[in-house]
Amino acid sequence: MGLNIIVCIKSVIIDAPGGKYSRTAENCVLNPFDRPALDFALSLRKEHGGSVTALSMGPDASEPALFEAMAMGADRAFLLNDSALIGSDTLATSIALCAAVAKLKSFDLLFFGARTADSDTGQVGPQAAVGLDLPLITWVTRIKQSEGRFHVTRRADGFLEEYAVNLPVALTIHPEAVKVRDVGLAGIESAFQKKKVKHFNLQDIGLSPGDVGEIGSPTKVISLKRAIKKRECVFLTGTVEKQAADLMEELMKSGLIN
Amino acid sequence: MDTFLSEKNKAVRRSVRAFCERNIAPIAKDIDQEARFPWEVVEKMGKLGYFGIQVPDSLSGAGMDSVSSAITMEEISRVSAAIGLCVSVHNSVCVYPLMQFGTEKQKKKWIPPLARCEKIGAFCLTEPNAGSDAAGIEATALRDGDSYVINANKVFVTNGGIADTCLIFARTDPEAGRKGISVIVAERGTKGFVTGELEDLSGMRANPVSSIRLTDCRVPAENLLGKEGMGLEIGLKALDTGRIGIAAQALGIAQAALEESVRYAKQRRQFGVPIARHQSISSQLADMATKVDAARLLVYRAAFLRDQGKSFTKAAAMAKLYASEISSEVADMAVQIHGGYGYSKSYPVERYYRDARVTRIYEGTSEIHRMVIARSVMEGS
Repeated sequence: MGLNIIVCIKSVIIDAPGGKYSRTAENCVLNPFDRPALDFALSLRKEHGGSVTALSMGPDASEPALFEAMAMGADRAFLLNDSALIGSDTLATSIALCAAVAKLKSFDLLFFGARTADSDTGQVGPQAAVGLDLPLITWVTRIKQSEGRFHVTRRADGFLEEYAVNLPVALTIHPEAVKVRDVGLAGIESAFQKKKVKHFNLQDIGLSPGDVGEIGSPTKVISLKRAIKKRECVFLTGTVEKQAADLMEELMKSGLIN
Repeated sequence: MDTFLSEKNKAVRRSVRAFCERNIAPIAKDIDQEARFPWEVVEKMGKLGYFGIQVPDSLSGAGMDSVSSAITMEEISRVSAAIGLCVSVHNSVCVYPLMQFGTEKQKKKWIPPLARCEKIGAFCLTEPNAGSDAAGIEATALRDGDSYVINANKVFVTNGGIADTCLIFARTDPEAGRKGISVIVAERGTKGFVTGELEDLSGMRANPVSSIRLTDCRVPAENLLGKEGMGLEIGLKALDTGRIGIAAQALGIAQAALEESVRYAKQRRQFGVPIARHQSISSQLADMATKVDAARLLVYRAAFLRDQGKSFTKAAAMAKLYASEISSEVADMAVQIHGGYGYSKSYPVERYYRDARVTRIYEGTSEIHRMVIARSVMEGS
């Protein structure tokens, strides 16, 4: 029996010209942390059979990311797109994704990237797992089937933890779990010629506008500023020998060498 | 600039650019300096369908359109024109004529390994005494029972040093003038097939351009492509398509030269300000950007017409002429903006300058393209 895997992906913003945070197809790309999740899912499908479904919530500008998932090999792609979703925080996003996943029905594995390249909260995967009442393992690097159960390896700091789990389960995938595949031309051709991104709106997933969007979000970003890193230059003077000795001392003091 | 492109075309640009930035950019300078063909990267490109861009799925290709193909060549050439050249020649003037004029049996035999990059293709027309005057070739392929016996001295063969499947233009009827030229496929390893020394070229150094000599080289008669006497027709059709590829290649070089110039002009300071703030430099950047965009429109138009099944000879000639001319101009301006550093191998514009120059020469010189365009204009087509 094959594994049916749903991979939740996000189209992230790579550029905000003039400080404007608006999503267009030109300034959005598939979240680089979702690529390992997709790749991992595709490798599991190759090993076990089954299907890979890509799911995203976002505006129309998210479509290219879903096509990219299909060009990588995903069987189908869904976009949850509704103007009432604008302003959703991570909790409202998780609530919406849970409803969409419930609508897609039977699955064995629910994958997320470990985090996103634009907001970097890492919250959506764990929150969705809670919402769907699923066991959750984060930062997963390996899945192996053994004696009817699935053994999942999680990399945490310098340790590898191994869990035995029953399906269905939600997992967030470690960014270095797999070497991400390049997208080939045949994949792109097939995604655009043979496949379509299917759209859902709130009504389709049985939610009302009050559940999501700004109203449904307990948190709200009220300002967005670029973080400025303070850098201080120290000029070493004196003879070359003195400069070298001072440099050594500075490096040792800062703990860079010992 | 991508406003006119489909989402698929844009996805092609994103994926090819990402691949080239990751895999080719780090070695682009070295393979030029060492005149080394990077098999390790080419094999990866083969797996991604870059060697069978427009070949249908049933023959192991990616089955894409001409605009996507042009974008692929533009993006590869933006990073390494020499690798762009390899891909363009392989797809446009080897695989395409085989697709167009080959029998089903020939296609099944030759195309899948070419499309999978297990074999590399070449187009062997030029000889020491025949370049722009293609009808002046001296090579012969004389029928002897079930074989052709080929004697040919082909020079400046792009991919020559590594080519497995070569389209050889030769006279099957030495008395018949233009009508006596045919195309015969000769494969490396056949007795009498010898690859010459690699050319020590000014640019495109990572491409193993070489001579190929065939001496009493006997190939099966079934290796004839099309019919006897169709050689020039096949050649011109292939070159029409090839021109879009070379135009896209020239465009890629110009795009790279523009990007490097913008980067340098913003960072290099003279007279207390970045040189981009000096009007003479910013005016050059404006001219470069305008020329690059104009070339891009011409290239995509030619590819678009080809996708529509419309005549694209004039459009391809215009695209090739203009893109190659401005590629040299833009690369020259890039060197000027970089000043002394632009003349040094420390900066990539020096390479772009050398690489751009040949795009005005191969697959039809600028002079020949002006003839093609002028003829078309005067005929009112």
